Amino acid sequence: MNRAFGIAGLVLICMIGPVFAQRGGTPPLVNPFQGKPEAVHEGESLYGRHCTGCHGPNGTAGEIGPAIVSGERADFTSNDAQVFNIIRNGIAGTPMGPQKLQEEKIWKIASYIHALRGTAIDNPQPGDATHGEQIFWGKGRCGSCHMLGGKGGLTAPDLSNIASTRKASTIVSALTREQHHEYGSGGVHLKSLSPMDSYLPAHVTAADGKVFDGVLLNQDGYSLQMIGNDQRLHSFDRANLRRVDIEAKSLMPTDYDKRLTPEEFKDLIAFLTRQGTKPPTMASGTQLRGEDQ
Amino acid sequence: MAIGLFLSGAMMSVMAEKADPSDWPAYGGSNNGQRYSALKQVTAANASRLQAKWVYHVDGASGMEQTPVVTNGIMYISQFNRMDAIDARTGNVIWKYQRPPASASAQRGTAFYNDKVFMVTSDSHLVALDARNGGIRWDVKSESGYIISGAAPTIVRDKVIVSGNRPNGFIQAFDVETGKYAWTWSAVPKPGEPGAETWGTARPQGGPMWMSGSYDPELNLIYYGTGQPNPQWTGFERPGDNLYTECIVAINPDTGKRVWYFQNTPHDTHDWDSTETLVLVDAVFRGRVRKLLLQANRNGFYYVLDRTNGEYLLATPFVSKVDWADGLDPKGRPIVIPGHDPSVRGTRTCPSTAGATNWPAPTYSPDTKYFYVTVAEGCGINFITSSTAPDAGTGYIETSDAPWQAYVRALDATTGKKVWEYKPVRSNHYGPGLLSTAGGIVFAPEQFGQVTVLDAKSGKPRWHFNTGDLITASPITYAVDGQQFFAIASGTNIFAFGLQGGNP
Repeated sequence: MNRAFGIAGLVLICMIGPVFAQRGGTPPLVNPFQGKPEAVHEGESLYGRHCTGCHGPNGTAGEIGPAIVSGERADFTSNDAQVFNIIRNGIAGTPMGPQKLQEEKIWKIASYIHALRGTAIDNPQPGDATHGEQIFWGKGRCGSCHMLGGKGGLTAPDLSNIASTRKASTIVSALTREQHHEYGSGGVHLKSLSPMDSYLPAHVTAADGKVFDGVLLNQDGYSLQMIGNDQRLHSFDRANLRRVDIEAKSLMPTDYDKRLTPEEFKDLIAFLTRQGTKPPTMASGTQLRGEDQ
Repeated sequence: MAIGLFLSGAMMSVMAEKADPSDWPAYGGSNNGQRYSALKQVTAANASRLQAKWVYHVDGASGMEQTPVVTNGIMYISQFNRMDAIDARTGNVIWKYQRPPASASAQRGTAFYNDKVFMVTSDSHLVALDARNGGIRWDVKSESGYIISGAAPTIVRDKVIVSGNRPNGFIQAFDVETGKYAWTWSAVPKPGEPGAETWGTARPQGGPMWMSGSYDPELNLIYYGTGQPNPQWTGFERPGDNLYTECIVAINPDTGKRVWYFQNTPHDTHDWDSTETLVLVDAVFRGRVRKLLLQANRNGFYYVLDRTNGEYLLATPFVSKVDWADGLDPKGRPIVIPGHDPSVRGTRTCPSTAGATNWPAPTYSPDTKYFYVTVAEGCGINFITSSTAPDAGTGYIETSDAPWQAYVRALDATTGKKVWEYKPVRSNHYGPGLLSTAGGIVFAPEQFGQVTVLDAKSGKPRWHFNTGDLITASPITYAVDGQQFFAIASGTNIFAFGLQGGNP
């Protein structure tokens, strides 16, 4: 069932191009609400009304329709225009029928699906980002551990690009839930190396008795790398260490929804979901190879 | 044992000039382009005890061309939009930085200064990362829309210098601490500027600059090579020498102004870029100590210049066949033999467009006073599609009658005379670059994955290791906790080698 749906979706996507060509001069469809947070939120409520029944909340799959947000199916990469066409025309041979909705509403649903699929930079959360920045460096004390824009601490990951690498929901989870790591799919057959135990508090005693406290960056059976409270990067040969203690719990507080007022928290999230680099629109890189021949 | 990576600015300004031989902080090891290391734990006598110490896979890469840098036991591996910091002793990853989009394009490396490493991106940004955790210290776009190429940035005093090919060859300087833009030097003049008169009525174009520079702190001059004029295969529309393409130029890093130039190939129609590594050496030349600049050029000649003023001292072929010029005149201008311009029928020229050598780095050893370079013996046939239309070129093919063959050659640095050569069997193109050490060896990887250590005096092989993939990068050497390592990118992996022994 899911497979048939996927293939049908692919066929439809492949046909969209020629349809435009036949119309002769009709420009490709562009989402008029691209990058507008309000449209995403309206799209969320429209999705809840028209789509949740089949595809489940947040596009995570329902009893009838498949997941439409994450996984490895090719049509997860469909663009807003392709999503628009699927919603408007349906997919023949599947329970996905044409949806009789105003174009504007379809575009808002497409915006919401785009945001679900994308990282936070595609889905900046509403709020006062300027005030959120003050919270970041002030009451929230985020900058005492995290670096952002060239300032801040070294004992937690740099957040300059956080919105390009995490979904908005993941950022919220990181600030409010103890178990927030997202390790991706794959079960026991992980396709990439497992994440490092980075930034766990580490206490190292060298053979000469000298003690180093800080946070772990990485380790294996023979070496250990950490950032000390002295703000230096240290790399140790384990053969030269008397004792290594790694704490199981990160120093990151997970109760920011309680430490901050609802308004402050909202504004902090608004700020964080805007910190990142948008990929350049053109595919670049290949052309920039040195002219070496 | 513990490696501190926090140094004051004052300490670093000294280090920049007199680097610890344990480190390899720049593309060429140091800014003199010699790729010579004072480390001597590994010698011609004990090189047979070398072994692989670790391999680091750069996932998503392809055909890497980059030279990693190492400081204080940490190795920094850069690609477009990406940097990996790893423990140089174990290969254990410490941090990774990835800027969207992921790119598998080859890039030539990074540079370390103070507490930062620098990376160029595929959308022409220059990013300074905190060497300790990969945090973004600053991120600036190139000035005026120039397109930055994948050459490793060059650090000169308080500036980080990047280069590129478009709209024309250029270098651009930024403040090393803040990223503030300083200046641009363009390889071709604007109409009315000096040099514009060497283009006829054509608009000066070309001069791509896609390699790192060299720097002499005493003279306070940076040295760069420039690439070919455009259109590259047809010269009739651009009569004249086409300055400042195919040149070696000296530039003041404070002002960005050119101090001198020397043109290797005036009015080039073979796309021989003069971008090959510029090696700065102080040596006795004809009885007197001089500040020399050495270059094995793609056009087949080995050049010796005085780097204080660009004075031409000597040039001699370093491949057996150079048929486009009958030597050089007393000013160093090639005496061109007519009939070598690309044609519709095809014109045979030796060396080929790929060149007698190319960007893979040479090395100079002050111990042997030899200049070591990977060369390709071979000719090419250059075609154009029309004898009247500008930019009607199609490039070149290799000659079929004389198969190409690569060699590692040792030249007497001040005469250019060949002392020995090593033939990497099966290698027909230059691939990797070289380095030399105080241990009396030349570390000489081969195109098809063989890593070889040669005796610097005799050229005899002392050890080899097969990496199993192509090598198109230049090697480095460094030391951590008293152990000397060699590292080289091969395919999608970084390999590190050292002598047997040490902790389990």
